[in-house]
Amino acid sequence: MHFKKIGVIGGGTMGQGIAEMLAAKGLDVLLVEKTPERLDYSYSMIETSLDKQLEKWGITQAEKKLILSRIQKVTHFAELSSCDMVIETIIEDLDAKKKVFEKLDEVCPSHIILASNTSTLSLTELASSTKYPERVIGMHFIHPVSKVDLVEIIRGLKTSDHTFTETKHFVEEITNKKGIMVYESPGFVTTRMITLLINEAMHLLQEGVASAEDIDDAMRIGYNFQHGPLEMADRFGLDSILAALERMFREYGELKYRPSIVLKKMVRAGQLGVKTGEGFFKYDKDGDRI
Amino acid sequence: MNILVINAGSSSLKYQLYNMSDESVLAKGLVERIGMDSSILTHKPTGKQEVTEVSEILEHTTAIRKVLGMLTDAEHGVISTIHDIQAVGHRVVHGGESFKESALVNSEAKSEIRRLFDLAPLHNPASMMGIQAAETNMPGIPQVVVFDTAFHQTMPEKSYLYAIPRVLYNKYKVRRYGAHGTSHAYVSQAAAEFLNRPIEDLKIITCHIGNGASLTAVQGGKSVDTSMGMTPLEGLMMGTRSGDLDPAIVPYVMNKEELTVNEVNSMLNKHSGLLAISGVSSDMREITEGMEKGEPNSTLAFDMYEYRLRKYIGSYAAAMNGVDVIVFTAGVGENSIVLRQRVLEQLTYLGVELDEELNKIRSGDPRRISTANSKVEVLVIPTNEELVIARDTHRIVQASQLEK
Repeated sequence: MHFKKIGVIGGGTMGQGIAEMLAAKGLDVLLVEKTPERLDYSYSMIETSLDKQLEKWGITQAEKKLILSRIQKVTHFAELSSCDMVIETIIEDLDAKKKVFEKLDEVCPSHIILASNTSTLSLTELASSTKYPERVIGMHFIHPVSKVDLVEIIRGLKTSDHTFTETKHFVEEITNKKGIMVYESPGFVTTRMITLLINEAMHLLQEGVASAEDIDDAMRIGYNFQHGPLEMADRFGLDSILAALERMFREYGELKYRPSIVLKKMVRAGQLGVKTGEGFFKYDKDGDRI
Repeated sequence: MNILVINAGSSSLKYQLYNMSDESVLAKGLVERIGMDSSILTHKPTGKQEVTEVSEILEHTTAIRKVLGMLTDAEHGVISTIHDIQAVGHRVVHGGESFKESALVNSEAKSEIRRLFDLAPLHNPASMMGIQAAETNMPGIPQVVVFDTAFHQTMPEKSYLYAIPRVLYNKYKVRRYGAHGTSHAYVSQAAAEFLNRPIEDLKIITCHIGNGASLTAVQGGKSVDTSMGMTPLEGLMMGTRSGDLDPAIVPYVMNKEELTVNEVNSMLNKHSGLLAISGVSSDMREITEGMEKGEPNSTLAFDMYEYRLRKYIGSYAAAMNGVDVIVFTAGVGENSIVLRQRVLEQLTYLGVELDEELNKIRSGDPRRISTANSKVEVLVIPTNEELVIARDTHRIVQASQLEK
């Protein structure tokens, strides 16, 4: 398979990151959102992210232009028929995702790989909404996509060997990231471990053991984390953390996955982290800590 | 013998077709944007109209097929069939320590070039694609590889080693390799011919100053030192590259600005040099214009560039205990009158005497710009790397056919 044009469905935090990373690797990207307004917003966020890299000398003005020129804004699924692979990365809602896969199944030729960036949902269940479940696979990227060189490749029950091999090739040769193979299980490896760490940090905060700042410093300086667990939660989005924990709590039925009360409260209050300007810490429009 | 010279980049491919009976260029051209729907092939047949074709060229094999199509085209072509091409010469950036001269392409040469991917991750894979593409399109036609580093393989240990733990050299071959070797070799040879003196008797400093810039100390026809290092970042200040700096700056800045390895690499290679100091441009012509208008940043950029170049000339004169010839070549070296003037008028201690009028002449021919009294001959010699590749290819293919 010659991977040249990739569809990315969903222009949220992960969709922006995946689209930007693929375009930076020289691929053409069709970015899909429900409305032109949301597309414009996603596109402007990608531009902001590139501007930040430009400021840090990571890319040049010409490279920024080139990357942006490779991202095409799309609102109709029909346009995805020309893609060599499609990556779905909408909200973690099983029904919504199933609908997307059903539509993709109709639009994309049967040999085209349909991947989901889900972190907790069942690939087998997603694939069940398609006629060709052998081409459905999980490709779980980690935020920030352009900087984290790891992808979990998740096999559903019916995912074919061919689909897996091609996906592994795509991840390792084209995006130059390390692909690890995981079998279907809520949270896989990365989400399961990191959300538990974040949840535990919130318990510590709630119990008054240490301040948010000090909890983060402890892990950042003590164990060489780039960001502490609470800032990490702000950057991932508190709603995403809550959704992942609730999903795992339900699936595994174990108390250790029960989301912290602090987390629930903050999500109810609409304090979702970087994207709303405030979570455990405060952030400016560019996502920098204030 | 007709020889096709290929210089393959990751998304571009330059070519020239030589007729070696008189070393004339039959056609040259360029394929840009390989890998996209709208790739551009620009073909310039000698004595005919230039043609441009836009089409989808996804990889190098298709690119070379299109080039061969152009070369044999009824209207724009210069040969009737591809069998009129008797050999292909490729430019390869990195030959490591294994290639001390140009070589015939065979399976060992190819696997060695592959082993060197690590040292030239941006360039050697592209050259390899060019070689494979030529093999696919022209099976059985001999191919030769010509390396940018080969000329500098004569450097002694004292020039090429860095004063860091030897284990890094033993394990990873961290050392100075230099670059622009084909150009330095060509202009030093051409200088000796121009002066009609045996190159074995000469101490020559060659200044290849283009977008990338390097100096070489050529003693007795051999490279004994060169300013680029393990990568093309070391040495002179360049358009967007920093050149020499205190290596401790790298971890210091990485820490302060929280930069990744990629970011700091990109900063030093793409955001430094003339561009960083002038804040305007990486192009010497624009810097010169700015200086003439009295812009302080452009003036400073020019002064730094000139000062660093002059210091390197001084250090190579010291390295060889003297200098007989200084050669300027490549884009800036061949065309910037003011840069040459400012460097040379401050080398009087070496006995350099610039002829200001000769320096102002614009020409595509090799020429002298020093006075008759000057103790050092100063020459401007347009470089021609493609011709060197064609000549090496010609020589090596002929020798290999004699063996058979």
